[in-house]
Amino acid sequence: MDSGHVAAADHAAPQTSLPEDPHFGHATGGKVGMWIFIAQDGMSFGGLLFAYGILRGSAASWPVPTEILGIPLTALATFILICSSLSMVFAVAAAQERDQAGLVRGLLVTIFGGLCFLGIQVWEYTHLVHAGIGLTQCSWEGEPVNSLFGSTFYAVTGFHGMHVTAGVIYLSCILRGALKGKYTQGGDSGSPVELVGLFWHFVDLVWILVFTFIYLL
Amino acid sequence: MTDPTTTTDESVAQEVHGGHAEGEQSMRGLYVTIFLTLAILTVFEVYIPSVYSAAWSGTTKMLLLCFLALSKAALVATYFMHLKWEKPWLRWIALMPVYMGFAVILILLETMYR
Repeated sequence: MDSGHVAAADHAAPQTSLPEDPHFGHATGGKVGMWIFIAQDGMSFGGLLFAYGILRGSAASWPVPTEILGIPLTALATFILICSSLSMVFAVAAAQERDQAGLVRGLLVTIFGGLCFLGIQVWEYTHLVHAGIGLTQCSWEGEPVNSLFGSTFYAVTGFHGMHVTAGVIYLSCILRGALKGKYTQGGDSGSPVELVGLFWHFVDLVWILVFTFIYLL
Repeated sequence: MTDPTTTTDESVAQEVHGGHAEGEQSMRGLYVTIFLTLAILTVFEVYIPSVYSAAWSGTTKMLLLCFLALSKAALVATYFMHLKWEKPWLRWIALMPVYMGFAVILILLETMYR
């Protein structure tokens, strides 16, 4: 086994001061808890997408999403979220390397990406509401369309938007601690950064699915 | 890749310590590669509906988009969320919501054949 591979694995899942658990290795309780939260939250999103599929499948008529929703703008929002995932993973790496400047920079870029995403979502909602796509009543270019289109669209994307908002607040709290140097002291001190990273990547992962199922299909 | 939690041997630990800087660089390179892959797959995703025509069946388009979305989600979970380096139990927890994804795909497929 070459040293580069071993070191890479060590970097991704650093050895901690915790004793090795036969089932979870050196994962902290917080990390296991975050994964359980992510699993149940994933099922919440799954339930919403499941309901969307049933309602759309059983509807007599359903507008073509790509004709109503702004795909280029949403694709840009998707790209911004992917960029923020990269900056987040760099922030986690910086915490493990005890690089405070890198950690703060990574967190700031991630927060900025989240805010840009939310800005685009607000702009999109405003545009759609003015165009006639409401939460309970929908029309497009003067013609009525199935109101479930708007209901399901706002329910799924709104639920995700609330997660992005929560993520930005969570990241801001972590940034406050990072500025005080709390997460770059070695050992398990970087664990909170890893946890917020897991949450943020989950938000990105969910958007990847929402973008396809709600916007593109 | 070998599970890092099994690399407790002292000689291996020294090897890890010695190659840490190299490992950090290789991980950053890996992250950038995953990011670029995600970006390229997104471009494909956006392009597919715009080139959709009668020559393409709806099934092909749907399956292709589902495959791309699930591939991207798997890349994020595996590399950005470090599942690749976690113990199996944590991976099983992460896999819990996946059955909902299969249910969604089944509904979409059923819709097409109605």
